[in-house]
Amino acid sequence: MATQFPPPPPPQWLRDLTATSTPAKPKSSSIPDPPGFTSTTALTTKQSKASASKALTPRKQPSPEEMDTLKLKKAWELALAPAKQLPMNAIGMYMSGNSLQIFSIMMVFMLFKGPITAVLNIQGTFQRLETDSNRQQMLLVKAAFVGCNLLALALGLWKVNGMGLLPTTRSDWLAWETAREPLERAYYVPS
Amino acid sequence: MFLPLIAVPLLLAGSALAVFTDEAWNVDYHYALLGHPKQSTSFFHQPNPSSRASLIFTLSEEGVLGAINPRDGAVVWRQVLLPGASAHNASFLRAGEGQDVVISGIGSQVAAWSAGDGRQAWSLDVNGPVEDVEILELVDGKDASGAKDAVALSGGDHPLVQRLDGATGAVKWQHQLGGTDAPYQVSASTTEVFAISLHKTILGYLKLKVTSLDPVTGHKTDEHMLSSENELATAETIVTVGANSASPIIAWTDSAHSVLKVNIMGTKGISSFEIEKHDGQAVERVELHAPYHLNSLSHFLVHYQTATSHWAEVFHVDLKNGKVGKAYSLPKLSGRGAFSTSTSDANVYFTRVTRNEVMTVSSASHGILGRWSVDGFNVAAGEGEEIEPIHAVSDVSVRGDTVSAVRSAVLLSTGDWVLLRDGSPVWDRPEMLASTVSATFASPAEMETLVQQLEAEAHSNPIQAYIHRVSRHLHDLQRLPSFILSLPQKIVQGFLGTSADGGIATDSFGFHQIIACATKDGRLVAVDAGNPDKVLWNQQVADLQPGQIWQPSVSSPRGGVIEISSKASAGVQYNASSGEQLASILPIDLAADQTAQEVKYTMHDGGLEATVDSSTTWHFMPTSGERIVSLVPRPVNDPVASIGKVLGDRRVLYKYLDPNLALLVTANDAARAATFYVLNTVSGAILYSNVHSGVDVSSPIASMLSENWFTYSFTAEALGDSPKGHQLVVGELFESLVANDRGLLSSTANYSSMQTGTEPFTLTKIYQIPEAVSKMAVTRTRQGITSRQLLAVLADSSAVVGIPYGVLDPRRPINRDPSKDEQAEGLVRYSPVIDFDPKWYLNHQREVVGVKDVITSPALLESTSLLFAYGLDIFGTRLSPSFSFDVLGKDFNKFQMLATVAALAVATFVVAPLVMRKQVNSRWQFM
Repeated sequence: MATQFPPPPPPQWLRDLTATSTPAKPKSSSIPDPPGFTSTTALTTKQSKASASKALTPRKQPSPEEMDTLKLKKAWELALAPAKQLPMNAIGMYMSGNSLQIFSIMMVFMLFKGPITAVLNIQGTFQRLETDSNRQQMLLVKAAFVGCNLLALALGLWKVNGMGLLPTTRSDWLAWETAREPLERAYYVPS
Repeated sequence: MFLPLIAVPLLLAGSALAVFTDEAWNVDYHYALLGHPKQSTSFFHQPNPSSRASLIFTLSEEGVLGAINPRDGAVVWRQVLLPGASAHNASFLRAGEGQDVVISGIGSQVAAWSAGDGRQAWSLDVNGPVEDVEILELVDGKDASGAKDAVALSGGDHPLVQRLDGATGAVKWQHQLGGTDAPYQVSASTTEVFAISLHKTILGYLKLKVTSLDPVTGHKTDEHMLSSENELATAETIVTVGANSASPIIAWTDSAHSVLKVNIMGTKGISSFEIEKHDGQAVERVELHAPYHLNSLSHFLVHYQTATSHWAEVFHVDLKNGKVGKAYSLPKLSGRGAFSTSTSDANVYFTRVTRNEVMTVSSASHGILGRWSVDGFNVAAGEGEEIEPIHAVSDVSVRGDTVSAVRSAVLLSTGDWVLLRDGSPVWDRPEMLASTVSATFASPAEMETLVQQLEAEAHSNPIQAYIHRVSRHLHDLQRLPSFILSLPQKIVQGFLGTSADGGIATDSFGFHQIIACATKDGRLVAVDAGNPDKVLWNQQVADLQPGQIWQPSVSSPRGGVIEISSKASAGVQYNASSGEQLASILPIDLAADQTAQEVKYTMHDGGLEATVDSSTTWHFMPTSGERIVSLVPRPVNDPVASIGKVLGDRRVLYKYLDPNLALLVTANDAARAATFYVLNTVSGAILYSNVHSGVDVSSPIASMLSENWFTYSFTAEALGDSPKGHQLVVGELFESLVANDRGLLSSTANYSSMQTGTEPFTLTKIYQIPEAVSKMAVTRTRQGITSRQLLAVLADSSAVVGIPYGVLDPRRPINRDPSKDEQAEGLVRYSPVIDFDPKWYLNHQREVVGVKDVITSPALLESTSLLFAYGLDIFGTRLSPSFSFDVLGKDFNKFQMLATVAALAVATFVVAPLVMRKQVNSRWQFM
């Protein structure tokens, strides 16, 4: 094998300038790349070495049916995720107490904000997983997602009620009740 | 930076107090007053014979004995000898030369007080009223070092002359003055004690009877009648019956003041002097001023006063031949004048105080030893009113032949007691406020004009309103230069946190309210509640005859206006800020809502009577044997923030709110019972009543009604197994005791008490309190959101306490701990005894003596209520029953806050370039 001298490497500044996407590999690093990682530089410059050391077998592409099932499975996972958080949230709410403090108020705020934004972004959440063929099944998934978020919202309401922030009692409407006006006024006239 | 950290726990500890330490002595004010000083009982005296420092002693018309420091006018000590005394009570105050006690006589008590600290040395109750007290300046060998004895003359059925031991008050001897003659005065010379009594002749004239007594044994040595012919019709024309001097004299005039007759005591001869008439004006007053010391020259001065001018004549007594001769006269000056006598060794000096000058002459010759002009007395007076001296006491310091300085404590016609040092006022004591009979808060007129202008703009059409506003702003621009000038000072003060409250015009908190006090002698005096050091104005509003009793009621029908009404005269209105009388009289009840039908009720024949359009609607007559003690209507302006009470479980208990409630207290003297009624004053219905038996009806029964609750206190006598004690009863009226129930009328918008009578459900609780309450009031705030404090005047401990309503709440659970919901409301378990927490004492270390009434007024800040207590002392403060939630306290460190902001700003400017450089560098430097 005739010794081939590689072309002189470009100067550092040029490499920094051209290498926009990939971060430059530290020069001093002696750590080898992890198995399965093929760096672009390695691919271009040391192709012969790489092909000799590894035996890469290309993965078999899944069929569209399998893909749908996988996507549906993933979608169900996403849809039920809020429900899984419920017990933890409930414990957190219970522990934070019913007093009006900055901590409990923040927690309640997050409790409301999470489900509402999730429901509003529902299309975006499931967009990647939605295909023409599984659209029917996805409806059910979305409904389950909304339902789970509503459960979280209900937890928030329960908490707010516990904190006494819901105007459900007579005293909450007392300010709108007016005193009765007397039709007569009596004045004491000192004799 | 550690100091604030250390201060935090201290501040937290401080927040548990009712009166904050930084507010005490700062927001509250107190005039420790003595009352109207009398000429005969006021003098300079050295409390410690070894030092030259002297105090001014006085026993006032109000029956208060006190010592004043002549340096600053502060009260050194005082004793209330006769509470509720008036000018009619004879009172005497004497101090022996070189003695450290002063001896007082008032009522039926003669007492000696340590002059330096006011502690009582001894006291003696004589039978009958004290008619005179003198000190025996006897120079007998054995008593020379000890306390000088006193001679007291008492009246009553058996008039007595008693010699009292100066150290113990024990009676050394007594001599009974027989006969029916009225005892008048006692006097002592070096060798004899003279008792003078008034003998009534058949024709109704008075004759002076002089009884000479031996001072050692008390035996009568001589008795003779002075031939006063038919000159003395009343005792009032007796000018003087000489005090202690080398030759005590008696002087009197006839009722027309045309002749002055003088007798040297112990002799029978009478010298007669014509009183010359000046400008044809009658002499109104003749006064005699003589030295009080045995070893001073026996010279005296007679002061004549007409309506427009005064003059004086000085007489010498020739001791050898017992003759009185006129030495010289002091020229006539216009206006009133005051003369006072001072002694230095044997020399006698007379000081004359007029409205323009102070001058001192020697009794020996008419040469003026010292003369100082008076530019003004530096006291507030009515417009165009000449301030005149009424009487004076003086302290003269003599250097060689001239008088180097003179200090005179002068009572002015405005009621102020001022000290003139060489003619310039040093301090003044507003003693007229000690006789305040009625007072009110009024907002300053300056504040009101802005309100009125804004109202005018709101009601006129837009173009006119615009022109009005522009012209008003142009007018306001005139103040711009002065505002700009004061700006740097304001900023510095604000920066240092030392800014005092602004004046009345810039008062945004409503602390500067004007308190108008009507005094006993017909004056109206205004004090600024935010700046109480100075009397704003002081005006004579009623011309009273001597002895006439004035019972005015002062009120503020609307902002900026003060109205005085009394039995004799209808309402007269005054501008609150300037004291000017307002020409146009506004109708009294302007604030009353016009739509409601008016019912007027009044006290009539020992009962209550109400009329509508001059036809009687209801009567309230107490049962026989009962008399009405007091009637407390709910205040006309009593804002209530919430019509219900929110319970712990957030349900509502509705208050029974009716503006036409009144609490009536009646007492039955025979049965020793007191009945308390809550009346609906429109229909006359009794909504609640309670009878307490075994009540000490002679002790004060205080009562108060506000919002939907009432409270009263009384002294209960020992009865059966219940001990004697003071009780405080609190009652609260509710529409219904069921939560969320608004009663029969439910939520109807209006109602008529005449047609539908609803009865409240009343909860009451009785508490034992440690002290009798003589008067009650309640804090008032602008919207009634702030919780209430019951203000109780404790006469026995000279204090005003503010009891939080939470302590009194009738809903406190009995015999059990409060449930969780009740705890949320702040209710605590009922305990029958309320101990007055030392934190509740609003007067803290001050001693507020003789408070007759307490008035309150809301400030502009919702948290704050103003308080003003009057009687003898004047006491005022600001209260925040729910703490000052809407204003920064004095503990707020403005400087620290500004420093923090400044430090942050500096840090930002310093750090910003550093961060910028670092960011740029991080872009350019790799690895």
